[in-house]
Amino acid sequence: MEAIKDALNFSDFSRAERISLIIFSLFLLIFPLLGAGSFTKTVMIQFLLFSLFGMGWNTIGGYGGQVELGKAQYVGIGAYTVALMMVWWKIPFWFSMPVGVLIALGYSFIIGYPLFRLKGHYFAIATICTSLVLKDIFDNWTLVGAAKGIELPIHEHPDFVYMQFKSDTYYYYFIMVLFYIGLFYMNWFRKSKLGYQLRMIKDDEDAAESLGIDIRWCKIKAYSIASAFVAVGGGFMAVYNLYIDPTSVMELSLSIKIALMAMLGGAASLWGPIIGAAFLVPLDRFLGSWLGGYKGLIGVDFMIYAALIMVVSAYQPRGIWGIIEQLRKRGS
Amino acid sequence: MAFLEVDNITKDFGGLVANNHISFSIDEGEIVGLIGPNGAGKTTLFNCIVGYHKPDSGKVIFRGKDITGLKPHDTNRAGIGRTFQVMKVTTGMTVLENVMVGAFCRVDEREQARKKALALLGFMGIEKIKDFHLNELPVAMQRKVGLARALATNPVLLMLDEVASGLNPKEIEEIVEFMRVINSEKKITLFIIEHIMEMVMKVSQRVIVLDYGEKIAEGLPADIVKNENVIKAYLGEKYAQSH
Ligand SMILES: Nc1ncnc2c1ncn2[C@@H]1O[C@H](COP(=O)(O)OP(=O)(O)O)[C@@H](O)[C@H]1O
Ligand SMILES: [Mg+2]
Repeated sequence: MEAIKDALNFSDFSRAERISLIIFSLFLLIFPLLGAGSFTKTVMIQFLLFSLFGMGWNTIGGYGGQVELGKAQYVGIGAYTVALMMVWWKIPFWFSMPVGVLIALGYSFIIGYPLFRLKGHYFAIATICTSLVLKDIFDNWTLVGAAKGIELPIHEHPDFVYMQFKSDTYYYYFIMVLFYIGLFYMNWFRKSKLGYQLRMIKDDEDAAESLGIDIRWCKIKAYSIASAFVAVGGGFMAVYNLYIDPTSVMELSLSIKIALMAMLGGAASLWGPIIGAAFLVPLDRFLGSWLGGYKGLIGVDFMIYAALIMVVSAYQPRGIWGIIEQLRKRGS
Repeated sequence: MAFLEVDNITKDFGGLVANNHISFSIDEGEIVGLIGPNGAGKTTLFNCIVGYHKPDSGKVIFRGKDITGLKPHDTNRAGIGRTFQVMKVTTGMTVLENVMVGAFCRVDEREQARKKALALLGFMGIEKIKDFHLNELPVAMQRKVGLARALATNPVLLMLDEVASGLNPKEIEEIVEFMRVINSEKKITLFIIEHIMEMVMKVSQRVIVLDYGEKIAEGLPADIVKNENVIKAYLGEKYAQSH
């Protein structure tokens, strides 16, 4: 009960923030009625999806302060669980998605246990490696389609059991609901005991330990929550794209994008991942379609992201949200 | 049975023996001082007791339980609180939040933690700084926050590492008074490292002296200041003469 109250309570934010949230929410609600083209709709769906990914990352990466660069493996686990269970056994999305989340949770505990013996750069590199290993396995595993990937059977009519729709509008509202569940969860999380403990760990690990905090266990918990978040998004990707392969759901670039968006927007703030996704998703799309035509320019988009993150972090390590807060303080 | 029993602790940093076969015990309710010149091994001894270092040999028994080699969070949960000689000046959390994190050691609900933290800040007379960050506060205040958050974990033994260094005489007076209060009212046993001689002698009921990793003396403050070894190692003749 307390938890639900906390999740829905935004009263510790400023008036401006709360009003912005309401306007933003109204916009999200009526967006499909505005007659936007399919490209814009796709961008909006991606925006909500990456916001969800970023919010999940924010638990361990933002509040916990750990440079986590391996979230794609859990996107993959969520996506593959949904896709394979549907193709093999015709199992509905509403069953396979939670199964995917459970597998992601289990896997994250197994990976997290050794992973959080490491600190700093070693940790960051190890998260990349674990993700690469899983992608390699899937790339070569014929049972799950190997590098060719898997296609989901297409349903002609709107199907709420398998969550398959012809019209993007259904997908849009579906991911919007997931986005709000994520947002409310994070609003609770930041005020929870674990949220406080993670911030202490980020600030001063020695002090945190002296206050009875089991650092490694806290990090593992946050890492697993992050993994569950992105597995939900992965499940969504499977039914939305109707085709998945290791490159689309497990690649390193996906991991980096997730972390980058949250950091750019503002790590360890509720709005950061949303702001980051609002900037980077359209940019990503634009660069994708623009550069896609030039073979030699593959990778240029990442150079642009790298430059962006360097500029922002040099000016304000707390990202765009940090800049906004700074300006607000100066103004008042 | 002693409250805290340190039995033959040795800590060797690759040839530098920071603690050499150290043994002593502390009774419940005592205030015990730990003194010695810089580099004598005082902080290392603290770290061996609470688990930041694993001693190479020896045992630590706390309330009848062997806690040797336990992690710091486990020794804290067992009832040992500590402060740090060098406190990290952080920017991420407010004073209130710092103390709440301490309170979360024993409670799960945020409101409970908040109430407890506010009560503690009130008890220490620093509730007016609750919304500041550590980097915005003078050293004396930072120290108090360190003390408050350690207290919030409900320790029965509190180990303070040079809480008075860098403070002016008035602030030292305050801290000494505060130590007496938490010792008598909250029934917290205190084990304090201090290099400010006047202060240790004033507040401690018993003093342990380290020098080059060895325990060279232990006794009442009045006897310690007259002890030959201590004078040679640490105090200098002047101090003994002036008292
Ligand atoms: N982690 C460490 N690694 C190596 N040497 C250390 C470490 N910690 C302390 N020392 C050394 O051990 C000795 C005792 O240090 P310390 O316990 O901090 O002394 P004190 O607190 O009495 O001033 C010093 O010579 C110090 O350099
Ligand atoms: Mg020291």
